[in-house]
Amino acid sequence: MPQDRDRLDARATSDEEEMSVLIDSLLPVLVDRLDETGLGEIEVERNGATIRVRAARAGAPVSAAATASPSAAAAPAGAASAAGPRKQAVRSTAVGFVTLSSEVHVGAKVAKGGLVAVIDTLGVANEVRAEQGGIVAVLRCATGDPVEYGQELLLLESLGEGAR
Amino acid sequence: MKRILIANRGEIALRILRACRQLGIEAVVAYSEADRESRAVLIADEAICIGPAEAKKSYLSAPALIAAALATGCDAIHPGYGFLSENAAFAEAVAAHGLTFIGPSAEVLERFESKAAVRALLAKHGLPTIPGSDGVVADVEAAAKAAAKIGYPVILKASAGGGGRGMRVVGSPDELAAAFPICTQEAQSAFNDGSLYLEKYLVDTHHVEVQIAVDHAGTALHFGERDCSVQRRHQKLVEESPSTALSPKVREELLARAAKAIGAAGYRNVGTLEFLVGSDGKPYFIEINCRIQVEHPVTETVTGVDLVALQIALARGDDMPLAQADVERRGHAIEFRLTAEDPEHEFRPQAGEIGAFRSPSGPWVRFDSHLYAGYEVPPYYDSLLAKLIVWGATREEAIARSRAALREVEIEGVATTRDFFLGLLETPTFLEGRATTGWIDAAGTAAILAAAPRREGA
Repeated sequence: MPQDRDRLDARATSDEEEMSVLIDSLLPVLVDRLDETGLGEIEVERNGATIRVRAARAGAPVSAAATASPSAAAAPAGAASAAGPRKQAVRSTAVGFVTLSSEVHVGAKVAKGGLVAVIDTLGVANEVRAEQGGIVAVLRCATGDPVEYGQELLLLESLGEGAR
Repeated sequence: MKRILIANRGEIALRILRACRQLGIEAVVAYSEADRESRAVLIADEAICIGPAEAKKSYLSAPALIAAALATGCDAIHPGYGFLSENAAFAEAVAAHGLTFIGPSAEVLERFESKAAVRALLAKHGLPTIPGSDGVVADVEAAAKAAAKIGYPVILKASAGGGGRGMRVVGSPDELAAAFPICTQEAQSAFNDGSLYLEKYLVDTHHVEVQIAVDHAGTALHFGERDCSVQRRHQKLVEESPSTALSPKVREELLARAAKAIGAAGYRNVGTLEFLVGSDGKPYFIEINCRIQVEHPVTETVTGVDLVALQIALARGDDMPLAQADVERRGHAIEFRLTAEDPEHEFRPQAGEIGAFRSPSGPWVRFDSHLYAGYEVPPYYDSLLAKLIVWGATREEAIARSRAALREVEIEGVATTRDFFLGLLETPTFLEGRATTGWIDAAGTAAILAAAPRREGA
C-alpha cells in the first residue's frame, strides 16, 4: 500500500518553483485559516514540498510567522510522520477506496464523532469518524486512493490546547 | 495471470507465495491485524491489511478480500485451505469482479457442496459408497427407518459439515433418538444448515484419500493416495503415502476409478476424494474436498509434482501439463502436523511468543512453517505451526528419518505436539501400519506420549 517510503525522495526533488507556487497560493489561505481556527500550527505537504505556518504566541491574534521547508534536509526529522504528541491519527476502518468528506481539508475543524471519510469496500460504505475533535493538520490520502485497514488517513491536532 | 492475492495466513500463505515466485507471478499477501508480523507478510513483495484479527472481518470477509485484490491490482485470488476456500458464493463474487478464483468455479463448488448429493453423483460414476440414507434424512423417524435398513451402528453427519462437528455414532434406536436433535443443533450453529444424513459406521477404518486434478476439458489425473488414519477427535495428525491399508491391486483399481469418476462428474481443478477402508480392505467413498489440502506435500514428495503450481495453471485454463504415465510414485512420505497444542493437557491450544526456534533439515526433509524466533503465535486462528515432511525409499526408512528430523525440531515458548510424534514413532500400532481412525482416541494420548524416548539434548 502507499506508504511513507517514497516521500523523502520526492521531497528532495522539489524545486524553487514549487516553493514559490506554494507560498503565493497557499500561504495567505493558511494564515487566514490559522486565524479562524485558533490552531497553533498548520502543516501542508504538496508535491514533495512542506509548508508550515505557526501562530506567534499563545492565544494572540495571529501575526503569522511562516516557515517553509523545501527539502528533507531542512525539515525536522520526520516532520510529518513523527507528529507531535498532540496530533491524533485517524485510521481507515476497512480496506477499499477512500472518499474524504467534502469539508475535510487542512485546517478544517472536525467535531468528535464527525464523519471524515467513507471507505468503499466493494460497494459497502464503511464510515471513518474522528474519535476526538480537532483540526486537520495533515492529509495522508486523497479521494479515490486505495487504502488498507488501519492506514493513517489524516492527522488531527487537538482543540483547546492549540497554541504553544 | 500476473498478480495473485493470497487470501490466507500461516504456513499455507508462505507455500502459495513460494509457488508464485517460482512461476514468476507477483503475489500480494492479505493479512489481518493479528498477522502483521507473520513470515509471509514480512517476506512478501507487497502485503495489504484487510481487517482486524477476527476472521469474520478479515479472512472470512469476501468484500474485504476482493477489495484488497482490486486495490492492489491483482487479477486472481488464491484462497488456500479453510476460510473461504470452498465457498461457492465467494468464488462467484471473485469471478464477478473480473478476477480468477484459483480453485473450482462457483458452479463446480455448488455441484460438489452437499455431501449427500456428491455421494449419489459419484456412485453413479462408479465409486463404491458406504451404505447410507438416500440423501438427507428429514426427521428422526426417517433417520430411524434408514438406520434399521442399514443396520447399526450408524453415524449421523452434517450434510454441510466437516471437522467432526455435528457428527455422532449411535448403536441403537434409543441412542439415535437422543443424538438426532443434538447433531441438528450442532450442524445448524456450525454450518448454518442443520440437515443430516446417516451411513453405516465402519469400525477399524483407515482414512485413505486420493489426490486428483482435472483440467478445463475434463482430463483427469490421480496422484496416488494418502493415508490419514492417525487422527485425534477426527483431526488429522499424521499423513503418509502410500497407505498401508491397500493391497497393490485394490490401490491401482481405486486410483484409476477415482480419476475416471471425478472427470466424468464434471469436477475441475485440484481436489481430494476421501475414502474409508474397512477391515475387509475395501475402500468406500465418503466425501470430496474442493481445495488444496494441508497434507498436499506428502503427495508432492512422492510424485515430484508441485500441486499448488498445477492448481494455478489449471485455474488460468491451461491444458493438463502431464499425462497419467508421467506421474511416477516413488518411495514413502510421511507428514507430521506440528501444532501449538499441549499433548500433556488434552491438546489444549497454545498462544504466545516463540523463543528459540530451530527447523530440522538434511536430506529428504521438508519443513513448511511460518515460524521464526520472536514470532507471536496469535490466539485467534488454528494452531498449525509447521509441517514436517520426510521421504524414504521405504516406510521404515521414512520413519527412521522422521525420528531424526523430529529430534532436531526446537520450538520454545509454546507447547507443541513434537514429543507426541516421537512417542508415536515408537508405538507398534503405528510402526506396523495398523493405526486406524479411532486408535488414538481409544489408546489415549498419554500412552503414546509416554513412549517418547527421553534423551538429553533431544
